Formats: sequence, C-alpha cells, structure tokens
Amino acid sequence: MMKPVIKGNRIWIPSNQEYLSDVDVFIEGILRGFGADESAVADIAISVSELVNNAILHGNKSASDKAVTVTISKSDGCVEISVTDQGAGFDPCDIENPIDDANLMKEVGRGIFIVRSLMDQVEIEASDRGTTVIVTKCI
Amino acid sequence: MKLTDREQDGVVVLEPRGKIMGGPDATLLHDKLYEFIQQGRTKVVIDLSRIEWMNSTGLGILIQGYTTLRNSDGQLKLAKVTDKIQSLLTITKLVSVFDAYDTVEDAIASFN
Repeated sequence: MMKPVIKGNRIWIPSNQEYLSDVDVFIEGILRGFGADESAVADIAISVSELVNNAILHGNKSASDKAVTVTISKSDGCVEISVTDQGAGFDPCDIENPIDDANLMKEVGRGIFIVRSLMDQVEIEASDRGTTVIVTKCI
Repeated sequence: MKLTDREQDGVVVLEPRGKIMGGPDATLLHDKLYEFIQQGRTKVVIDLSRIEWMNSTGLGILIQGYTTLRNSDGQLKLAKVTDKIQSLLTITKLVSVFDAYDTVEDAIASFN
C-alpha cells in the first residue's frame, strides 16, 4: 500500500482522504517558513484541501493505484501551489455556480468557488491524463 | 477534528475543535447529529469558536445538519463564528441561511 512521500517542496499521497492532514501539515509548515501570516496560511490551507479533495474524489475517483501530487514554491513574494491528479480530466465550465438560489442548499459543489475567492490566481490544466490546478497567492 | 457535546437548558451544544477538511471529519459530525435526532434531541447549537478553519466539506456538513434537523422539526444554530468561517459563509451566501449568535447563551435563548 502506498504511503505519503515528501521530497523537498513536493508531497505525493495515495488517493485517500485519510492523508489530507499529511498534506495540511506539510503545506502549513512550509508556508510558515515562508513567513506567511496566519490568515494567509489558513486561506492557502483551505484552498489546498479543496483541491486535494477534488483530486482524490473527482479526479482519481479514490483509485488506490493513483496518486495526488502537491508542489509548493515561492517567488517574488507570491506562493504558487500545484495539485495534480491522474484522472480523466474535467471541463471547468461544467461546474455550477454554488451561489445561485437553486444551488444554495446543496451540500457539495463549492470547492473551486472558494478557491477562486481565497487565492489571487487559479489556472486549471485538464487533459485525459489528469488535471493540474495551479493556484497563486501573494503573501 | 475532535468533537465534544453537552446539554444546556434542553439544547444540545456541540463543540468541534481543530480543522474540518473532509474524510473522517465529515462522518463524525454527521453521525453525531443523527444520534441526537434519534434520541429526539433536535435543538442544536454548534459552537464554532475552536475551529481553526473549515473548507467546503465543513459547510456541507453544516447544511446537512441544518436540513436534517429542520426535517425533524428541529433547528440548528451557530454560535461564536470565527472571522475565517464568517468570511466563507459570506462569500458562499450561506450567511443568509444560518442563524448565528455571538455567544452560546444567546443561541440557546433564541430557542425560547
């Protein structure tokens, strides 16, 4: 059975939500090392948790032989994080607007919306070999 | 996340602590709410003061609890919402759904 692997500023985890906290500890530790304040740490940690949840559940569909890769770096005062899965990709245009009245009481479907609200920049690169979401926040 | 509960003036007060990010967190709070409903205890306050942060999974749990309790003729109210969670409730427009109070005592009193 695969276990989380950390190498430098990158962590690989199996497609299982039990490893969400491993990613969180890894990301928050590096962010504090970068000098991010606690509000920025929380915003970025929330966003990464959303993206890793999506990668596990919707990208890799919790397949035990697929991994999620999270990479973090800092340049010119801005933190960039990429989250990559090995799923079949998706069309970001298919995501419904969670603040429409018809969707307001739905229990799911807010992840990417929250990420776009908390981060300065969000790029989604989807293909049939997987999806990479790159988010940036200046701290 | 860790979860404790107590009862005050006939109202269940849930006190989650830590972060709500998904996976086991989702089932813990959900299962607890169902346990209370089966016991006929349907007035519930969640004290959010010890939650460092939550993501959309946490918001989904709150919505599920709100809906489940309402369908059982009960109510879910929030107390001591942190700035970070308040911000999430605002950007997702869920601030219009939940009754939120500055103190647990105010939330309990609102049931009367």
